[in-house]
Amino acid sequence: MFRTEMMDINMGPQHPSTHGVLRLKLVLDGETVNDTDVLIGYLHRGVEKLCETKNYHMIEPYTDRLDYVAAMYENLGYVETVEKLMGITVPERAEYIRVLTAELQRIASHLVWLGTHALDIGAMTVFFYCFREREIILDLFEAFCGARLTYNAYRIGGLPWDIPPGWIDRVRHFVKIFPGRQKEYETLLTKNRIWLGRTKGVGILKSEDAIDFGVTGPCLRASGVDYDIRRAHPYSVYDRFLFDIPTGENCDTYDRYLVRMEEMRQSLRILQQALDHLPAGGVMAKVPKRIKPPVGEVYHTVEGPRGELGFYIVSQGDDKPYRMRFRSPSFVNLQALPHMVKGALVADVVAVIGTLDIVLGDVDR
Amino acid sequence: MGMQAFLQKVLLLELWQGMWVTLKNQFRPHITVEYPRETVEFAPRFRGVPRLRKDPQTGEELCISCLLCEAICPTECISIVAEKRPDGKGKQLVSFTINYERCCFCGLCVDPCPTKPITAIYMSHDYEFAGYDRDAYVATREELVDGKPVKIYTR
Amino acid sequence: MSDALIRNFIIPLVQVLVVLGVAAGAVAYMTLVERKILAFMQLRLSPRRVGPHGLLQPIADGIKLLLKEDITPARADRALFTLAPIITVIPAFTALALIPFSGGGSFNIFGYPVSPWIADVNVGVVFLLAISSLGVYGIMLGGWASNSKYPLLGSLRSAAQMVSYEVPFGFSIIGVLMLSGTASMVGIVEAQQKAHLWYFVPQILGLFIFFVSGVAETNRLPFDLPEAEAELVAGFHTEYSGMKFALYMLAEYTSMIVVACIVTTLFFGGWLRPFPSVSALAWLNFGLDKLNPALPGFFWFFLKTFLVLFVYLWLRGTFPRYRYDQLMKLGWYWMIPLAIANVILTGGVLLLLRR
Repeated sequence: MFRTEMMDINMGPQHPSTHGVLRLKLVLDGETVNDTDVLIGYLHRGVEKLCETKNYHMIEPYTDRLDYVAAMYENLGYVETVEKLMGITVPERAEYIRVLTAELQRIASHLVWLGTHALDIGAMTVFFYCFREREIILDLFEAFCGARLTYNAYRIGGLPWDIPPGWIDRVRHFVKIFPGRQKEYETLLTKNRIWLGRTKGVGILKSEDAIDFGVTGPCLRASGVDYDIRRAHPYSVYDRFLFDIPTGENCDTYDRYLVRMEEMRQSLRILQQALDHLPAGGVMAKVPKRIKPPVGEVYHTVEGPRGELGFYIVSQGDDKPYRMRFRSPSFVNLQALPHMVKGALVADVVAVIGTLDIVLGDVDR
Repeated sequence: MGMQAFLQKVLLLELWQGMWVTLKNQFRPHITVEYPRETVEFAPRFRGVPRLRKDPQTGEELCISCLLCEAICPTECISIVAEKRPDGKGKQLVSFTINYERCCFCGLCVDPCPTKPITAIYMSHDYEFAGYDRDAYVATREELVDGKPVKIYTR
Repeated sequence: MSDALIRNFIIPLVQVLVVLGVAAGAVAYMTLVERKILAFMQLRLSPRRVGPHGLLQPIADGIKLLLKEDITPARADRALFTLAPIITVIPAFTALALIPFSGGGSFNIFGYPVSPWIADVNVGVVFLLAISSLGVYGIMLGGWASNSKYPLLGSLRSAAQMVSYEVPFGFSIIGVLMLSGTASMVGIVEAQQKAHLWYFVPQILGLFIFFVSGVAETNRLPFDLPEAEAELVAGFHTEYSGMKFALYMLAEYTSMIVVACIVTTLFFGGWLRPFPSVSALAWLNFGLDKLNPALPGFFWFFLKTFLVLFVYLWLRGTFPRYRYDQLMKLGWYWMIPLAIANVILTGGVLLLLRR
């Protein structure tokens, strides 16, 4: 007489907490998730194919629009890949400024993650505090490159501009005030029993699973794997800085939270060192006006805020790439979602989406 | 469990601390800018819509129709028509249009502009660009120099 | 008109209309106060465009909601879909009849005494409990009648949540009833006056449990699971729009105000002034007591109620949301045993004191 049946429920693409246009098909048993189907592609713009019709200068603005929350890293990865392909040495000052902006971007990106993650779990005030600090960083970026979101801040061979006067002092000021602000978020969240209840033991991703799924970045490190491209395959001038790589033990959402919070502190350490050792000199190497890399192919990765951000370029000696491929961390990390939410509750799905820190522009490309 | 940890758990200390943070922040100055009543100040490098400019000394148009900006524009929003100068030296503009619907504000067009010491095309600080009509987004040469008339929001 | 008609019909009717009007206005401005306080906590500005400092915003919101298209989903159960918000609103407003807004005297209007409360029922507290638990029907029916998946989940959650928090909600009051020896709302305040002690001192545990379950009963953060916007879009009222949606909102805010009123009455001495026996503080009456002894009571009652409501908003601004199973666990593992312990403790202490 009585029977139960599974309920299929569509979460997204228009849903307040799928971080854009992600669509999940959940099969629910009451409130328990039995099966998850991740459907993507609602933001697919065909950037990879489009890049084949653009010359190397023109591609950089397109990379801005992949991971729009951390566009500096997309820029950085792309220009470094082309520089690697062409064998260009970038002036040291440019490298230091790139590290400065990139680490600021990591903090900004983690702030967006923290704000939205906390908002998904219901702590709406943290969101506004995070965006208050992010605004300081965006103002710095605006002063440096003129844009607040889609920076197009680097050029192949260096930087289009040197930093504006007074910029260093503003960064120093930020480095000084940020730890106090971060303490505020931590007071609101780190020990809060509701937050602990919502994040501890939720979305467990064991280290072997994480490696199997190809998960990288803070999600991998929170699973206990000490892998950071800045340390493993140093690029730019990262081999000159002292910083720790935080790792987690319990592989859960709370550990990913702690790892990212610690990463912000480590970014501040790198910023401090880069500010102290900023060399003088030019910011642009000698680069031909028409960029025609030699025939060949190259793969280069940088450690973005979401994980391993890879660029693969096949060149046939033209001024346009023959094939362009982005290895976007959000896309790869998203694959672990069905595994992480199996058997969890609906509310946990939201927490896990938040903790994976996906950007749909990066997933769909 | 130590005594302190026990007390912390029973007296909900961490919750009170959190509530103290939000209470304290009530008395901090707000950070919202009441746009459009107030506007933010832009950094000098702020990239608004691209525009053309005249030589501030002579008042002549700077653009020499070299087509470099048209060539580098990743969204192909610039289109230039040029003709030979009547005196035979170089080229002069017939029309210069930027389709703001396509412009992505990347600022790449400013990089190769050869006019010295200031570039003919530049990223202005204009940004208020809402409109009802698609045609309003195609800026001609005159509009690019003088700026498009912008309807300022009032109430 | 006969004297009895006026006494038994006209005066209560006027009272009801006044309370309804004030309550509706209070609800409207509650939304504005909520937005203002949340905004200040979050370093934002609040609504400021409509009228000076946004003071006309609630009216604008009301007009907007009235004029909105009232959509009923095609496959919804039309009758229940329309009925559900009404079922939610009625108990919320009915509860206001029991609240003594002031005391110490009645007003003399055209020769008729008018008390500052609508009804003083000798089982007032029990009646309040009974009426407040009716609101869950509206939410359940609304979620069910929408014939949509998110509202269904939301209404199921709310049914479980409100039924289980009903228990500690009721138990936590028993301590107060024991102390005062009456279940009449007016009687409880008078007992506090007689004892020179507001009951939040001996009943601090009871206050805590009552307030927490009150927050859960009214579906506010951190217990706003039925309408958890991050998970269930808008929970049980996802499919509602226009005036029906406004009714749900009206009910939610009225329940908030009712819970705040009950907290004030039961634990913070209702209309009583702080330290009434200290004559140096007599200026706190602002001379209003010379006009009518009941007048300062209104001021104190509304001040206390507002402070309780502020705590509501403060919680919303600070805490993350519980998960459904954790909420149940908190209710059944902690709140109910604590409430029962509070009853036993209060009874034991009272017994010892009486000896």
